Amino acid sequence: MYIYRLVFLLVLAIYIFSPNILDWWTSPENAWYSPYIIWAGLIAIGFWLEWRRDPNEF
Amino acid sequence: MNFSAPGLLLASLLYLILLFGIAWITEKGVLPRSWVRHPLVYTLSLGVYAGIWAVYAAVGMAAESGFGFLAYYLGISGAFLLAPVLLNPVMRIGRAYQLTSLADLFAYRYRSQWAGTLVTICSGTAILALLSMQIQAVSTSASLLAPDTSPRLISVLFSITVVLFAMLFGTRRSQGSENHQGLVLAIAFDSLVKLFALLTLGGVILFGVFDGLGGLETWLADRTTPVSSMTMSIDDGSWRALMLMSFAGALVLPHMYHMTFSENPSPKALAKASWGLPLYLLLLGLPVPLILWGGQALAATTGPDFYAIGTAQALGSPALTLLMYIAGLSAASGLMIVSTLALAGMVLNHAVLPLRTPKDQGDIYHWLRWVKRLLIAAIIFAALLFHETLGKNLDLAILGAISLSGMLQLLPGALGVIYWPEGNRRGLIAGLVSGLVIWVVTLVLPFSHTANLLEFLGAPLIPDYSNWHIFTFASLTVNVVVFALVSVLSTSTAEEASAAEACSLGALSRPQRRELLATSSADFVRQLAVPLGISVARREVERALAQLKLPNVEYRPYQLRRLRDRVEVNLSGLLGPAVASDLVKRHLGYKPMASGGTAQDIRYVERALGDYQNRLTGLAGELDNLRRHYRQTLHNLPIPACSVGEDGEILMWNNTMEALTGITADDVVGAKLMALPEHWHLLLDDFNRGEELHRYKHRLDLKGRPHWLNLHKAALSGPDHTEGGSIILVEDQTETRLLEDELMHSERLASVGRLAAGVAHEIGNPVTGISSLAQNLKLETDDPDILSTAEQIQQQTRRISTILQSLMNFARTGNHAHANRYEPVAIRRCVNESINLLSLSDKSMGVHFVNDCPEDLLILGDEQRLVQVFINLLANARDASPIGGEVHISGNLDGYSAIIEVTDEGPGIPTEQLDHIFEPFYTTKAPNKGTGLGLSLVYSIIEEHYGNIQVDSPANADRGRGTCVRLRLPAYEPDAGNTISQNQGS
Repeated sequence: MYIYRLVFLLVLAIYIFSPNILDWWTSPENAWYSPYIIWAGLIAIGFWLEWRRDPNEF
Repeated sequence: MNFSAPGLLLASLLYLILLFGIAWITEKGVLPRSWVRHPLVYTLSLGVYAGIWAVYAAVGMAAESGFGFLAYYLGISGAFLLAPVLLNPVMRIGRAYQLTSLADLFAYRYRSQWAGTLVTICSGTAILALLSMQIQAVSTSASLLAPDTSPRLISVLFSITVVLFAMLFGTRRSQGSENHQGLVLAIAFDSLVKLFALLTLGGVILFGVFDGLGGLETWLADRTTPVSSMTMSIDDGSWRALMLMSFAGALVLPHMYHMTFSENPSPKALAKASWGLPLYLLLLGLPVPLILWGGQALAATTGPDFYAIGTAQALGSPALTLLMYIAGLSAASGLMIVSTLALAGMVLNHAVLPLRTPKDQGDIYHWLRWVKRLLIAAIIFAALLFHETLGKNLDLAILGAISLSGMLQLLPGALGVIYWPEGNRRGLIAGLVSGLVIWVVTLVLPFSHTANLLEFLGAPLIPDYSNWHIFTFASLTVNVVVFALVSVLSTSTAEEASAAEACSLGALSRPQRRELLATSSADFVRQLAVPLGISVARREVERALAQLKLPNVEYRPYQLRRLRDRVEVNLSGLLGPAVASDLVKRHLGYKPMASGGTAQDIRYVERALGDYQNRLTGLAGELDNLRRHYRQTLHNLPIPACSVGEDGEILMWNNTMEALTGITADDVVGAKLMALPEHWHLLLDDFNRGEELHRYKHRLDLKGRPHWLNLHKAALSGPDHTEGGSIILVEDQTETRLLEDELMHSERLASVGRLAAGVAHEIGNPVTGISSLAQNLKLETDDPDILSTAEQIQQQTRRISTILQSLMNFARTGNHAHANRYEPVAIRRCVNESINLLSLSDKSMGVHFVNDCPEDLLILGDEQRLVQVFINLLANARDASPIGGEVHISGNLDGYSAIIEVTDEGPGIPTEQLDHIFEPFYTTKAPNKGTGLGLSLVYSIIEEHYGNIQVDSPANADRGRGTCVRLRLPAYEPDAGNTISQNQGS
């Protein structure tokens, strides 16, 4: 369960700070599409994690 | 730009017919199965989540709170990116126990019908608002396109089409075994249409209105207010609430649960969707700001909620307008179909079946199908009613917020399923009820303008469109706190604890090994026929047997327990887990427990661990390796071993036990000792029950041959293992027993030999005396009669001396000290000498000896004694041969051995005599012809020379005649300088 507690803490932290994170993404200095680029980056990480996953892992 | 009402209706109808067509050809199997079950199709079908939010409400929200609209997409994207720890466990449980909805999951985990019913009520109430939102979006968009159309007519027609679709393609699954592939593909198509329409509109606006990215930047730079350029800061409260609701949506929204888990083709597809769905939602969200700015730039006449249509209209493109309308229609219809279907299943399992289990229906599957269809119709018309009375007065965003806040109440319970085994049904129900009450009082009643209790009571905070999120959090917090407190303070039942363990992450269910009342699968059918009817009971039992790959008639207790679990899982897919569990518990009961506790089902656990092998890592993996090592040790133990539970059930049966008994482990493990063949059953059962811990040399006849077995028993219980049972070792002593017999035989022969030698020595002296007296007698008389008698006496005493000499020779066996004096001997020379000696006798009877031994065949030995061997063998061969027969002596080298064969043409030796010919005093010759010591002597001399002797009879199998005596002696290999000539010269 150790790893799940870490994941839980991480998710909670991201959740709590998510408005600030989004404010940073959408600050006027950035292009209007920058939130999408960062979001796409997250998806790429998700894809990479799924791709390198052991096929036997459930 | 307006459309005519019939034209719009026709377009809607054509689109829905296209959807029907896609579902229909999929169900007919026209499309390849690999396409239908492709992860891409699955991922697209999950796009049902967005509903009309994607097309209309997102733009409305973007106009109000800038990028805050992304919360609706980012929350669920987070949930999917966390799929390995959040969604996979739920899918594992759902697949293992055939749980088709969240209500099923709750009813199974919290072992309470009330939990399931409460989830159904909560989902039903919340979903009505969501369905109303879809109907509203479709009717409003239709009235925007064709202002002369009655919105009510559109709502009713749309609802009827959805009901028809859901009835036709959503209730096909009668036995919980196949996915609704037609439905999945149609929903995936819906998602594709939605995405295409939005991207097209976004592209047209970007390049048609703003002249590309550069133009857009210039246009944005001209906008001074943060609202118009979407750069206002996020409102923390509503953002967090929406984000949380969206995150929870992955688990608690009925349509999402249905699509993610019930229609999932494979775990791989979910893994792909973990990034596929976020990507799809990203693409859906990308055109939203563009549509908003396009609407503002073109001064669209509609409200921001419907900018998708307003902008297309302002662009003056009827095709684009129609496309956006169709996109909205497809989004709404997809969400309605799936959520209605999911809700109908929940209502059926948790509201209808607990009240009325079908008993007398001829075909229970048919009955279930029709009840589900009626429920689908009832739900959609309830949504329509809700829409007509309340929903149409509320705006889209608040309808969505109310609906999702209600569903959010299910999140604590859902997370508890995977992460909190201590949570129990009392806590869940208390938390859920308190959360729902707050939700109804602070959100549902005020916003539906029914009764605003808070205002009535003069509360400091009155719910409105800007602070609804505070009440969402309040209801959720109360829910979580009550759930936790009540769970901690109250106790869970044992049944609930075991379900919690089965559901918690990485846990194995550890069922108890209890005996069922039913003793065979036929009993199952009989017992299940009471609630289900004979034909359904038979069908279900046969299906479960086939799934477990068991024979048609099963009697093994372990397999019967598996069968019971399987039947429960299958019935759970059909009737919901609560009804199925109740039915199985009542009609497929266990025998009352004999003692306080029963043993764990070791075999079940072992099997489950085997399935888990690839998933165990770290310490668990090491422990599993250790377990496998010890298991292998036991299985490969060279002593037959089995272990037996307290109730006489066989738990282990190792490889040597299989070899000894000829019964495979698969056939008996999990069965009672009683199920073994009678002789084994009598032996093992008797020994297992008895007091004695060892039993020696028990004779058991197997396949007509006697076997002698030693049995040993030890109790299994110990300080670390309190369960009863015993381990039984069965030693096969047959070989030892036969060796012992042989030893006793040899010992007997040896004593005969010693006796003979003693007798010979004692008799020798008087015989010598008699011979001397006869000699003296001859000197003292001239009487020819007396002389003749004396001569005869002397002849007979010589004869006695010869016999005694043979006896003495025979007794001189086993004296290997002679080996030191052994010298290389040429076999050919020995044989020739023996032939010469035999030819002196008058009994040669014309028998012809042929010596084919090669000159260089040498052995190390005593030449005189070897000559004795050949004399005996050749004399026997001669005696057996017919007149004029031939005795053939051949020799050759076989590796390190010299093989000498003496073959005659006699009648051969009968098989029954072959075993005795080397015994002393055993002879087949007539009296006075042989002493019965010749071959015994040969045997002992060959033994002295470290060789062996073998007799084949008949030697000539075709004619059935002849005997071949084969001697195998260690050959002598002359070294350089150590040649035979030295011996020949001596």
